[in-house]
Amino acid sequence: MRLLLTTLFLLSSLNADSGILDIKWPKPNLQQQKPSTPYPTVLTKGIKNTKLPIYIPSSFAYDEKMVVVADKNFYTISFLLQGATVMVSGDRTFQQSISTSNSDFQKMMKPSPTIEFMEEEGMRSANFNRHGVNYELSIECDKPKEDARCKEEDFLRKLYSKLIMVGGRP
Amino acid sequence: MRYFLIALIAIGLTACATKDNKKVEQQTWKGKGFTYYPAGYLKPSNSGRGRRGDNYIYAPNIRFPLAYAPAYINSQVYGIGGQFGPRGSLCDQRNYKYPWRDNYCEKRTRGMPLCPAGVGHQGVDIRAKDCRDNTHYAVAVEEGVITYIGSYSVKLRGTSGRTYRYLHLNSHSIQVRRGQRVWRGQKIGRVSDNMGKTKTSIHLHFDIKQTIRFGNYSKSVYVPPYTSLVDAYKRLLRGRP
Ligand SMILES: [Zn+2]
Repeated sequence: MRLLLTTLFLLSSLNADSGILDIKWPKPNLQQQKPSTPYPTVLTKGIKNTKLPIYIPSSFAYDEKMVVVADKNFYTISFLLQGATVMVSGDRTFQQSISTSNSDFQKMMKPSPTIEFMEEEGMRSANFNRHGVNYELSIECDKPKEDARCKEEDFLRKLYSKLIMVGGRP
Repeated sequence: MRYFLIALIAIGLTACATKDNKKVEQQTWKGKGFTYYPAGYLKPSNSGRGRRGDNYIYAPNIRFPLAYAPAYINSQVYGIGGQFGPRGSLCDQRNYKYPWRDNYCEKRTRGMPLCPAGVGHQGVDIRAKDCRDNTHYAVAVEEGVITYIGSYSVKLRGTSGRTYRYLHLNSHSIQVRRGQRVWRGQKIGRVSDNMGKTKTSIHLHFDIKQTIRFGNYSKSVYVPPYTSLVDAYKRLLRGRP
C-alpha cells in the first residue's frame, strides 16, 4: 500500500512539460569571443546558429578535425585523440518539470555540487550547470580498463579546468 | 492532466484492492507470450536496489531499440554465465527467455542520483533474439541526429531533446555518422560485445538521458528506461513499432 501511494505521489508530481531553459548570459568577454587567432571554420560555422554559451577545452580549440553537431538549442563537439574520444555538449532544453514538493527529487536535484564527476560504463564524465544550461564533458577510451585517462579522474579534471567559452549568442 | 491523474488514481486503487496482499508477480500481456516483472524489482536481491514504485514512462512513445522481437531485458552480470551469476554460458537458453527483469540501478560504482543507493547501472542491458554476435540490428528509437560516436558508444539526440546511448555495437557495423539525421527505426549498427579493445558480453546497453527542471534549477540525468521499453516492446509485438 505504501508503495502504491509513493507511486501515485511520484506520478502526480511528475509533469511531462518540456521546453527551453532561461539562460543567464555571462557578461560578454570579448577576449574569449574574439581570439587573436580565429577558431577553425568547422567550429565557427558549426555553432553559428547555436543560442547558448559554447564551452570547449582550450587545448582542443584549434583542432581542425573536431566534429561539431549543433542546432539552435544544443551542441555536441567531439575530438579524436590517440585511443580516446573527448566530447563536450551543452543543451538548453528540458523534457520534464517536477514539482519542488516532490521529496524524492529534492535530494537529487539540489544545485550543489555544481559539478559532478561520474564514472560511466567504462567512460568518465563531468556534468555541470552554467548560466542555467546543462553541460557534459566526457572521455571514452579504446582500452577503458588500461587507459589512465579513463581509469582516473585527473585527465578529465584538467580538461574541465581549461574550458573556455568560444561562442554562442543570445 | 487532471483527468489523467484521476484515472491513474482509480487504476491504482483498483490494483491495490486486487493485488495488495500478493507477492510481486510477473505481469502477463496477451501477446506472443511476453511477460515481465515490474520496474525496479531486481534479482537477486544482492544485485542492487531499483526504483520500485516508479512506473512513470519517462520516454513515451519511443520505438524499441532492437529491430525485431523477441528481445530480453535481464542482467548480464547476475544472469547465467555473468560475473556474479550462476556458472554457465552467457549464451545459455535460460538467459534468452521471458519474463523480463529490470536492471537499471543494478550494482555499479557509477554515480546515479536517481538510484536509491546513489550509485548504479545507468541503463538496461538487452539481449537480442539469440546469442549470435554482430547479427541483430539496433535501431533509432526516435527521429533525431547522431551526435557522437566513440570507441564503443553511439549517441542519438531525439527531437524530444532526450539523448539515447547505444553501447557495445560492433564498430564495423555502424551505419551512421556523426551529424547524420536519422528516422525512427533506422538501423544504427549490430549488437556485439565491443568495449573498445577489451570485450564485454554480447548485449545492447541502452540508456536515456534527459533534463529535468525542478523549480528554477535543472539537471540532466539518466532516467529509468524500463517502463518506456516495456511500452515500446508491446507496440513492436503488435506490429506497430
Ligand atoms: Zn549496461
